[in-house]
Amino acid sequence: MASISFKNVRKTYDNGVEVVKGFHLDVADKEFIVLVGASGCGKSTTLRMIAGLEDITSGELWIGDKLVNNIPPKDRDIAMVFQSYALYPHMTVYDNMAFALKLAGESKAVIDEKVKEAAEILGLTPYLDRKPKALSGGQRQRVALGRAMVRKPAVFLLDEPLSNLDAKLRTEMRSQLAHLHKKLETTFVYVTHDQTEAMTLGTRIVVMNAGIIQQVDTPRNLYTKPVNKFVAGFIGSPTMNFSNALVAEKEDGLYLEFEGHSVKLNAEKTKALKDGGYVGKEVIFGIRPEDVYEDEDVVKAGLEEKRVIEAEVDMYELLGSDVILYYYVGENKFTAIVNPATPTRTGDTTHFAFDVDRMHIFDKDTEVTICH
Amino acid sequence: MKKQKSAVDTVWSFVLAVASVLYMYPIVMILFNSFKQERAISTGTAFQLPTAETFAGIEHYINAVNSKGFLQSLGYSFLITITSVGAILLFCSMCSWYITRVKGFVSNGLYMLFAFSMVVPFQMVMFTLSQTADQLKLNKPWNIWIIYLGFGAGLATFMFAGFMKSIPLEVEEASMIDGCSPLQTYFMIVMPMLKPTMVSVGILEAMWVWNDYLLPTLVLDIKKYKTIPMLIQYFRGSYGRVEMGPMMACIMLTIIPIVIIYLLGQKHIIKGVAAGAVKG
Repeated sequence: MASISFKNVRKTYDNGVEVVKGFHLDVADKEFIVLVGASGCGKSTTLRMIAGLEDITSGELWIGDKLVNNIPPKDRDIAMVFQSYALYPHMTVYDNMAFALKLAGESKAVIDEKVKEAAEILGLTPYLDRKPKALSGGQRQRVALGRAMVRKPAVFLLDEPLSNLDAKLRTEMRSQLAHLHKKLETTFVYVTHDQTEAMTLGTRIVVMNAGIIQQVDTPRNLYTKPVNKFVAGFIGSPTMNFSNALVAEKEDGLYLEFEGHSVKLNAEKTKALKDGGYVGKEVIFGIRPEDVYEDEDVVKAGLEEKRVIEAEVDMYELLGSDVILYYYVGENKFTAIVNPATPTRTGDTTHFAFDVDRMHIFDKDTEVTICH
Repeated sequence: MKKQKSAVDTVWSFVLAVASVLYMYPIVMILFNSFKQERAISTGTAFQLPTAETFAGIEHYINAVNSKGFLQSLGYSFLITITSVGAILLFCSMCSWYITRVKGFVSNGLYMLFAFSMVVPFQMVMFTLSQTADQLKLNKPWNIWIIYLGFGAGLATFMFAGFMKSIPLEVEEASMIDGCSPLQTYFMIVMPMLKPTMVSVGILEAMWVWNDYLLPTLVLDIKKYKTIPMLIQYFRGSYGRVEMGPMMACIMLTIIPIVIIYLLGQKHIIKGVAAGAVKG
């Protein structure tokens, strides 16, 4: 069991490209931390630095009370599950799982006990004599997990382990991973670009962009209280709708004016914008698709008429439990998740209203959140 | 369309059948003549099947084995082939592992050097080689493998490097995390995965070393050490006299080991040669 601590860790490749820039992070013991971000943001590199597969250019990396900057992977007490599983193709499932224990000089009886125990937990007992090529993707993934499990490492590293599985299996394995974390009570560091995995698995999530940590927080806080426009846009699917708007003061309060529309702000947001000196200035506002109401739902939601905008539906998408409507607000393409019973279809003109209480407002220059 | 394809297949089958006959004919002829009496080989009947009159039984085989130190030469050929092929497989696979995994000026330069060595004809270096081999005392059957390693390294490294690129780096990284040292990673993970390429490179190199006449003739002390291809030459006596029967029997006997090796490993040849050609 171990905590992980990054102290101003940087990684620069030989070609001068800096992929991780001043990384500060403390991962508590037994925590399930998820690194998310777009491709090339440095999340896998960060994980590989913990594993010892990438050198650290500067800074300090601690696992438990040990500075591991120059410690080889085998001495870090870690186990890693790779995106491609990285099973040894010439070995059986049993040998794959037993390999690390054999190298560690464990007795045959101990190896046998540990491998069989892990195989039982992962449902791999019937496949122990098979080679990896005779297994399905899900089974291979479980072997990779088993290989890591048998060593009882202090830190479990997982690099997009579910990305090669189909959607159904991915959901199944996701819950297995959550159970495994509870059972093993070990620190998990998980890299993914799939925000559903991040939101469902992580006790905390680290959102990264261009090698810099944007926000470290619980899944709920990331969703409801993003610290900047990047996090707000990255977390949530479909993504948050954004538009530039002018903060205008009228007799009855503050309004956001954008693309010929005007939306009245609530008292909380009015105060935040006034305190920040944003009156008369341009800001960016963001609204999640599920916080946009359509037509009769506008009335049901008790939203004021002044918050209503009229738009033509550009595309209608039925997802089963929901409908996504795509429409334009000026040049910006917006989405709304609405009641599946809606009669609105592509080409229809309808009314949308934003739930101002759930609107996010960002500084136009720094893109930092002004208020949620 | 299907009809056209079947016509093309028929033509190809015919062409390949003719090619097979052309390739097989000399071997079959040697086989038949190895069972004929001497006079029947050296006259116009050389191209005929053995008859009751010309059939010599296994007399030539007995002569070949009993005369001119056949068994000793066979031993030398085996020794040279096994040590050379073993060294080529071990060192060249390790070298290609380095070239493939360690990117840089040195590894790129090495790779180019190996590729270049394949296009240098042996005749260009053979005289300087024989002198160098003498100076370095590499003229014994038990150390000539060093020279074979040098000449075989180009093709072997080229083939190994091609396959090595198709091995996911993550497998090696996983072994490092599991506790392997670099040598353990090589011998316990990489080498077993190289098996198809090992077999195909091994067969190609074994065929070359086993059948090689020129290099051992130039390097070895021919009075003391004769490999099988050198021994066959000694069935040609003075004044142009050739012991055709024992020579052909000897050729047939020397073909057998390499044919057995080839048949045992042939399924790996295509796998090994094509490995790394496409992303798996």
